[in-house]
Amino acid sequence: MNGFKILLVDDEIEFLETLMKRIKKRAVDVTGVSSGEKALEEIEKNPYDVVVLDVKMPGMDGIETLREIKRRYPLIEVIMLTGHASVEVAVQGMELGAFDYLMKPMDIDELLYKLEDAYKKKTLHEQKILAREKDVGI
Amino acid sequence: MFSRLKIPFLKRRTQDESEVEELRIAFKARYHNFKLLLNANNRSLEIMAEMEEALQGIQPFGMTFIQALTTSVSTSVWQIIKQLNELAPGKYEKLYDRFKEIQKQINPLVYPKRSAQGGPLVLSFQDVDRNLADQVGSKIANLGEVKNQINLEVPNGFVITAQAYHQFMEYTDLQTEISRRLQTADMDRLDQLYSLSAAIQQLIIQAPLSGELETAIMEHYRQLVEKEGVRVTVAMRSSALGEDLAGTSFAGQYRSELNVSSENIINAYKEIVASKYSLPAVTYRLNRGIRDQDVAMCVGCMSMVDAVSGGVVYSQNPMDIHSHTTIINSVWGLPKSVVDGSTVPDLFIVSQNGPMEILYREIPVKERKFVCYPDEGVCRLEISGEEARMASLNDEQVLELARLATRLEEYYGVPQDIEWAVRPDGSFVVLQCRPLKETKREKVRDLKAVKEGVLGEVVFEGGVLASPGAAAGPAYIVKKDMDALQFPEGGILVAVQSLPRWAPLMNRAAAIITEQGSIAGHLATVAREFGVPALFGVKGAIDKLENGQVITVDTEDAKVYEGRVEALLERQKDPKNLMKDSPVFQTLEGAARLIVPLNLLDPDAPSFKPDNCNTFHDITRFCHEKAVQEMFQFGKEHRFPERSSKQLYYKVPMQWWILNLDDGFKEEIEGKYVKLENIDSIPMLALWEGFTAVPWAGPPPIDGKGFMSVMFQATTNRALAPGVRSNYGERNYFMISKNYCSLNSRLGFHFSTVETLVGDRPSENYVSFQYKGGAADFNRRLKRVTFLRDILEEHGFRVEVTKDNLIARVENHEKDFMKTALKIIGYLTIHTRQLDMIMSNEASVNYYRNKIEKDIRELLEPVAKTHEPHS
Repeated sequence: MNGFKILLVDDEIEFLETLMKRIKKRAVDVTGVSSGEKALEEIEKNPYDVVVLDVKMPGMDGIETLREIKRRYPLIEVIMLTGHASVEVAVQGMELGAFDYLMKPMDIDELLYKLEDAYKKKTLHEQKILAREKDVGI
Repeated sequence: MFSRLKIPFLKRRTQDESEVEELRIAFKARYHNFKLLLNANNRSLEIMAEMEEALQGIQPFGMTFIQALTTSVSTSVWQIIKQLNELAPGKYEKLYDRFKEIQKQINPLVYPKRSAQGGPLVLSFQDVDRNLADQVGSKIANLGEVKNQINLEVPNGFVITAQAYHQFMEYTDLQTEISRRLQTADMDRLDQLYSLSAAIQQLIIQAPLSGELETAIMEHYRQLVEKEGVRVTVAMRSSALGEDLAGTSFAGQYRSELNVSSENIINAYKEIVASKYSLPAVTYRLNRGIRDQDVAMCVGCMSMVDAVSGGVVYSQNPMDIHSHTTIINSVWGLPKSVVDGSTVPDLFIVSQNGPMEILYREIPVKERKFVCYPDEGVCRLEISGEEARMASLNDEQVLELARLATRLEEYYGVPQDIEWAVRPDGSFVVLQCRPLKETKREKVRDLKAVKEGVLGEVVFEGGVLASPGAAAGPAYIVKKDMDALQFPEGGILVAVQSLPRWAPLMNRAAAIITEQGSIAGHLATVAREFGVPALFGVKGAIDKLENGQVITVDTEDAKVYEGRVEALLERQKDPKNLMKDSPVFQTLEGAARLIVPLNLLDPDAPSFKPDNCNTFHDITRFCHEKAVQEMFQFGKEHRFPERSSKQLYYKVPMQWWILNLDDGFKEEIEGKYVKLENIDSIPMLALWEGFTAVPWAGPPPIDGKGFMSVMFQATTNRALAPGVRSNYGERNYFMISKNYCSLNSRLGFHFSTVETLVGDRPSENYVSFQYKGGAADFNRRLKRVTFLRDILEEHGFRVEVTKDNLIARVENHEKDFMKTALKIIGYLTIHTRQLDMIMSNEASVNYYRNKIEKDIRELLEPVAKTHEPHS
């Protein structure tokens, strides 16, 4: 997985740090922040390909943050992460355009597969747009 | 007009190239959608299999497990629908509605809503009777009944209700955080459960109560002080809702706090609520299938009784209800040490046949007792001299207690388990009263070996039967929690005291031996409930045993033998299955009914449509079928030379066509043919290897030109396959990518489908194989699929046979394992042709079974292949 950027968002600092450490071991470019508000600030400053978003956070919760990310940056893929299995939130998230909804504790390899798949989806989406633009002569 | 004809050649060419580029991307994107659909499909099938396995009821599971499974399956099914609609925009929108309708039926089962009940936060005992069990828990409801309806002596007090509990849990959103932590823990690991239990209890103890609740509690305390007219300390006892569920005892799961002063009431309340998540309670609920949310902690607070003596009375012998005897356990001081098993109490057995009389008494030396400190708390005092040897009840008191027990049993109509105390003035007071659970016990002991006394070497004997039965296993001495963590499956738990703390080991222990404790203790109750044989009060047991020493415990004769004594063990029944019929189990059953069954079987039937999807399995089946078709149609319909179907060229042009979905070829191929060496599909190559590894030797080759020609015949001669239609029309197609391959084929008279994904992600790998049809009669076709099933199962496939239709699956293995599985499938596809014809001939069947097994062995180990020497 070369050159793609991940943003992890979770208010549980301990979980966030462990996860970042484990992802970094696989030579993936990953940044972590602890709230939805900080996530939006961070995306404003730096480009990201995939955002991993905890559902339950104080302040802006996962769903609100997802909605805002998708509104401002429709091409960014978002994977929801939750410690509390809720079908309602899962479906709501996916209707808002989340790529997937994963439950803690998750296998780190599973998460990486999802990240790769999400990134590939984003890349193909961008290529499609690019090709279409070329086609109409832009 | 004229200028239009003069389009410069160069410009036109770039436009073509960009068109081609756009198409390439479109194919890639579609394939990615398709692959995501396959992943989700695979995942949902796995979860369904997991649900079916859980419904075997062998392993305990909780509500968070069900919620995680159902959420996971819903997520996958939703993704499948989404990906299908990406492949065919707008064509399958209706499936979202079906999904939502099914989901709507699952939700109330898996996420039961607590009925908003309202009601007071705190109630005085004088306002409580058994009708209020759903507000105050059955324990306190019963106590209220004893006080107000039966008019027996019960301490004054009040109860903090279920309503208060829910308010506490919601006040700072505690419940959400607790559920989250439960979900993320591995319930199979005792060490994780230990820390989880500690963390959740801390969380509860640190959470604040609402001002309203705190005021209500302290106001009732003030009223209690007023009524008693003296300084009051209280005993605080749990009284959980859900305790009275069928057949559950909940013995000793929760905390009690004795002699609590006014300033500590709130803290003690939180500690008792927290004990809902004590390790014994969490494992108990898990093993008994009790839903967390059904257990609301109510807490009774009653004036502390400064007991002279106390204990437990059973209005009948729980292990022999027809003996009509009352069993009394009694100690000096507070009854605490009877229920927690920390001392050997006095035992009295009172006959109820005719006038009550004491049949039996056992008065051990009681070395200590629990008494109240003047200000707060209880302490353990050493007893010496006369008091230690004296009975803690005189005969008159014994009979009075027996009469009290009988009265309560008559009132309730079932045997009772009653905790009592004697006040300094000599009067009895009832502290707790609940139905006694009878334990079925096989009394037949006419084994020859038992009669002749030749069972083996007795290590020691003695002690009381606390839970009936016999069991063998390695002894394991448990002194502290650390020892419990290492307790081996099937070990015999040996401990000094029969503490409720050891209850979590109940589903791992074969039997229990303790040096102290009685049948009236909590651990004994739980042992009987779980059907674990238990022998309590065996003096010096620990010194006579070593860790790992295999022994047989016979509780009936109160003997422990060296080694396994099979004569005693063979009569033992299977361990109790406590999951089945539990609320948690029924929840999963209900949800699974909406998820697992498959009704849409035949994709060619007119009923194969979204409206008829009644389960999640139906939706996945429908979507998968349509997705494969959509992929095929798109490939066929686009006039795109790179992606149009190619004929396979293997030595000669073959009657197989290949549709490359994405990266199935080593390079872009322009012409009509693709050579095998240009194919880059891992699964297709493995399958092909299985096809061609062993030449097919008959039954009668169709035209004698050997293997290749047979394959041509079988795939070109339509007459050989009357009425069987390939999903892809006239030809046999492979659809491939680097990691994917799907093949629908008619070879001879049967119809088979292989679909597989094989790559570097084991969790996504699968092979699915479907086999149907044949030329012979139904019985012989059936025999052939059974024949196939046996072979496939031996090689790790999960096989399902319905009528003459076989579906086999293997998944989640490494690439090499999957390739092997595909070789076997490839081999079988070729070599089971027309085998149905010989299925009624036993000798032929054996011949082919041996041949096939030998071929497969050689196919998998080509290096080990040896030729039989010529003689």
